Amino acid sequence: MRSNPLALIAEITHRCPLHCVYCSNPMQLADVHSELSTGEWDHVFAQAGKLGMLHAHFTGGEPLARADLTELISAARGSGLYTNLITSGVGLSEQRLRALVDAGLDHIQISFQDSREDTANWIAGSKAHAHKLELSRAIRRHNIAFTVNLVVHRQNLDHLEEMIAFLEQLSPDRMEIAHTQYYGWALANRGALMPTAAQVEKAVNVVAEAEKRLAGRIRIDSVVPDYYAKFPKACMGGWGRRLMLINPTGKVLPCHAAEVLPGMNFENVRERSLEWIWEESPSFQRFRGEEWMPEPCRSCERRSEDFGGCRCQAFLLAGDATATDPACSLAPAHPIIESAIREASSQSAISRHESTNSFIQLQKTNQDLWTYRTNPK
Amino acid sequence: MAPPSDTSQPRLAPGCRWGGTEQDRVILFPEGAIKLQGTGRQVLERCDGTRTFADIIQQLQKEFGKTDPAKIRSDIGTFLEQLQKKRIVDY
Repeated sequence: MRSNPLALIAEITHRCPLHCVYCSNPMQLADVHSELSTGEWDHVFAQAGKLGMLHAHFTGGEPLARADLTELISAARGSGLYTNLITSGVGLSEQRLRALVDAGLDHIQISFQDSREDTANWIAGSKAHAHKLELSRAIRRHNIAFTVNLVVHRQNLDHLEEMIAFLEQLSPDRMEIAHTQYYGWALANRGALMPTAAQVEKAVNVVAEAEKRLAGRIRIDSVVPDYYAKFPKACMGGWGRRLMLINPTGKVLPCHAAEVLPGMNFENVRERSLEWIWEESPSFQRFRGEEWMPEPCRSCERRSEDFGGCRCQAFLLAGDATATDPACSLAPAHPIIESAIREASSQSAISRHESTNSFIQLQKTNQDLWTYRTNPK
Repeated sequence: MAPPSDTSQPRLAPGCRWGGTEQDRVILFPEGAIKLQGTGRQVLERCDGTRTFADIIQQLQKEFGKTDPAKIRSDIGTFLEQLQKKRIVDY
């Protein structure tokens, strides 16, 4: 028997008050009427606990857009799961925070778009920055783990040191510095988000220095820019090896992006048990093990470490879900990545103008630069 | 950061807690879990924010009478320091 899944990613809604240009949600968002009910989620958490899962990561969209979030956290915790809320913080009053903590919330992760308010609001397409600051102070008054998350890219990497210093004064336990991953909206906006080689190189040093300086106080977790790596990431720890993601409509996926893959039929918790989906479903078995692998993966000694990289990226960039992830320097399709890097480095790094600080003005000026994430019906 | 001093009172960091079953005890933290057996489990079960590092060492030295007390102290100190860096333990 295979080992059980370790964590459930509960993508409880696609509704979101922010419109971040790097959002990893699919371009095709689930509308509110198709979302799972409170009772259906309760049943999912109970099954997850029985399957031996340890963590439930609440994400979206913005999880706080669900009025029943407190009940969902309570149900997950009641099923023995460690509860993690990944949020923008918009929609979280101090009173609601207290209710969530009382319901059993273990960890909260707040995303920041930048240290500078105007840039942060510009990237999020929403005036959320000031509220996040206030909320961070409130969080520290509760006995829960606190992580701040910062997505970095071409538009903000040049002041990474300033951003780290800014996050540091919020006294989190952890800081996640994540290079943009190019799926969903981020892939559509890649031209405006992809950093130059020089920016990436500098960022590596800045993060290493911060890690050293903050050791024992704040733990830094980094998500590396895989376009610039030699080998691909072990996406989700391997297809169907550790995680199950449930989207707002109950569809069960091995990762955030899998719905883009053609010819796949992903099961729904409304029709099948989590256990059956994990053990038996063709979708979870599709890229497990090594049978599906092409060369050079099949004979590569790293195949049990990175599992050939990301299937979605292989499809999105090379047009073939069974190809070696183009991010791998050994991949036949690697020239696609090399050309994206060349393109990124040939343009000036910062596309925005420096002088204006009006949010409305920034949005207007940059309408051509990128597409803001929309909202579902 | 340094290993705990005699008067430090080690405890689980915010948002870190025990989970799993009686046979398979784990410490759950935001992005993962560690399975604890043997000495590691004995140490962490005593990290309740009340006992001092000196208390914990003294108790464990009794349990492991044959081992060099200085080695017990340094091993446990290093163990707690590592967990502190991971933000799983505070002291």
